[in-house]
Amino acid sequence: MKLSAANRIRLQEYALVGVVVVLLIVGAILEPDSFLTSDNMLNVLRQSSVVGVLAIGMTFVIATSGIDLSVGSMVAAAGIAGGLLVDSGSLAFMLGALAMGVALGGVNASAIAYGKVVPFIATLAMFAMARGLALWMSDKTPISLFQAEGVRWFGNGEVIGIPSSVIVFVAVAAIAWVLLNRTRYGRHVVAVGGNREAARIAGVKVQRIIFSVYVLSGICVGIAAILLCGRLSSASPVAGNLYELDAIAAVVIGGSTLAGGRATIVGTFLGVLTFALIFNLLTLMNLAVEVQLVTKGLIILAAVLVQRKES
Amino acid sequence: MSKWFLVPVACLALALGLAACGSEDDDNGGGGQSAQTNTSDTAGSKAPVKIALSVPAADHGWLAAVSKDARAIAEDLEGVELTVNDSATDSAGQADQIETMINDKPDALVVLPNEGDALTPVAQKATAAGIPVINVDREFSTPGAFRTWIGGDNYGIGWQAGNYFADELKCKGNVVEIQGLAGISVTELRTQGFADAIKRRCQDGIKIVAKQPGDFNPDKGLSVMENILQGEKQIDGVYTHDDDMAEGVIAAIENANREDEMFLTGAGGSKAIMSRIEEGGLVRATFLYNPTMAASAVKLAALIARDEGMQDLTEPEVPSRIQVPATTVTKDNVKDHEALAY
Repeated sequence: MKLSAANRIRLQEYALVGVVVVLLIVGAILEPDSFLTSDNMLNVLRQSSVVGVLAIGMTFVIATSGIDLSVGSMVAAAGIAGGLLVDSGSLAFMLGALAMGVALGGVNASAIAYGKVVPFIATLAMFAMARGLALWMSDKTPISLFQAEGVRWFGNGEVIGIPSSVIVFVAVAAIAWVLLNRTRYGRHVVAVGGNREAARIAGVKVQRIIFSVYVLSGICVGIAAILLCGRLSSASPVAGNLYELDAIAAVVIGGSTLAGGRATIVGTFLGVLTFALIFNLLTLMNLAVEVQLVTKGLIILAAVLVQRKES
Repeated sequence: MSKWFLVPVACLALALGLAACGSEDDDNGGGGQSAQTNTSDTAGSKAPVKIALSVPAADHGWLAAVSKDARAIAEDLEGVELTVNDSATDSAGQADQIETMINDKPDALVVLPNEGDALTPVAQKATAAGIPVINVDREFSTPGAFRTWIGGDNYGIGWQAGNYFADELKCKGNVVEIQGLAGISVTELRTQGFADAIKRRCQDGIKIVAKQPGDFNPDKGLSVMENILQGEKQIDGVYTHDDDMAEGVIAAIENANREDEMFLTGAGGSKAIMSRIEEGGLVRATFLYNPTMAASAVKLAALIARDEGMQDLTEPEVPSRIQVPATTVTKDNVKDHEALAY
């Protein structure tokens, strides 16, 4: 039986719901006292928020068959950019972080869309540059944000019992879902990844679309930096190390393909949740790090294999 | 098309503009430049000596302090010309830089290697070329590779911490350990010393209820501690392997409003942690791993290059091993150590 791309995505989303449910059941059995409590579930969601927002941006990039290896480093640079402005208040911090995210994303976007540099290379260069920039701007020392109540609210604040970072994450995911599934722009993004020539012939402004997804990733970097710095009460030049790998892994086990042309926000959301649940459960069980890493790898492989079978 | 062409230019300008905000003192920036020279007055009675320092690129506060302290001390030393290389990000890159430095024929070479084993051959090469090598912290695999070693006491950090916990908790309670990066000797020794001291003092009175790596990274420390707080309903003390990483662990505890339930200790001796110790509350102690050891190494290098001994010792030459103690810093003595904090 041959499935259409849309149906295949739906199946994969269902498969991942299954993985999440299995993890919840296993966790409830292994750690009956602490795992399946509302407090811990909110904790898992809160921990998903930073990588989650990055993974949402990454979904758009991967939909165009691109990749962004620089998001982790850019989070550090954006956090430091905000941190340098924090004396002028929390709003200045947020604007600084967002501006840095957009600016660095813009450099990626220009190099890839107009400079014709391969995404892997362009963002690998930014991976190094953004980290260097973060260390340089901060003089290699973290900046305390203890006085910035507004920024810290994103780390420890809540609205009707739900952590503020979770609300931001869900809001970003919801906006991204609408953008990808219900607008002409979203259709163009997927079209560019599916078949670039066909998209061009159909009148899609391919360069502009490619440019836009890296800027979008930069905006997500800015938001993620605000969430992370709020959670840490400080901006650190070494923060966000290798977050790009977590984000890419979440997008891929969610069901989007690295080849492009197939993208799912719900899948990415569930992918991020899967990783956060695994990390949470393994830490609660206090397993040694070597066991954790092997287990994590096996679960990723199993999740992807299960999806393959079902589709 | 034309207006799109302006976008990359605008983006670059914005990025550089933001970067400029933070680069007031370029001397410590370290970004691109690989070598710098500090020359102090060569007047006076001391013979002028050329010292070369090689340190891996700073990826956290401690390493940044190492080259900063060494540069500062060289400014004050009479007749010392210090060349610093601190841009290598891996062992191979550092080996290349050291080879270049050897060709420059310095009077002494100070090396904090990225990895002791991997840089032993190049240190041997320097020694063979007649350049005395002062090995800082991470030790080379053979004594033939260096003239003098000066370093910190990782086992001592764990040992001092274990004794501190035994005293504070009167040998009874639940302890969480947030480790450094798994699989390196620093982490293993800090873990072992702690376990040994607790076992010896309290047998099984103190329980290490959770032990997880935080990779010396504040964001990893934050997430790991958040999860542990979910699982452990009663925690009396938290032993962390690094002051910078501890900031994340502290954030997790404060976000959960559980700072009255437990106390926390760091390791290293950062300014931020020392000021928290002084304020009192959650953070009670840290155990020193002082980055000034690199500054001391530069001083030792000057002595060795001039064939001099250490003034207050009897021997006419510099000792071959010096270990900097992992002093316990609490509210009682924090004032004495603040000046050297990084």
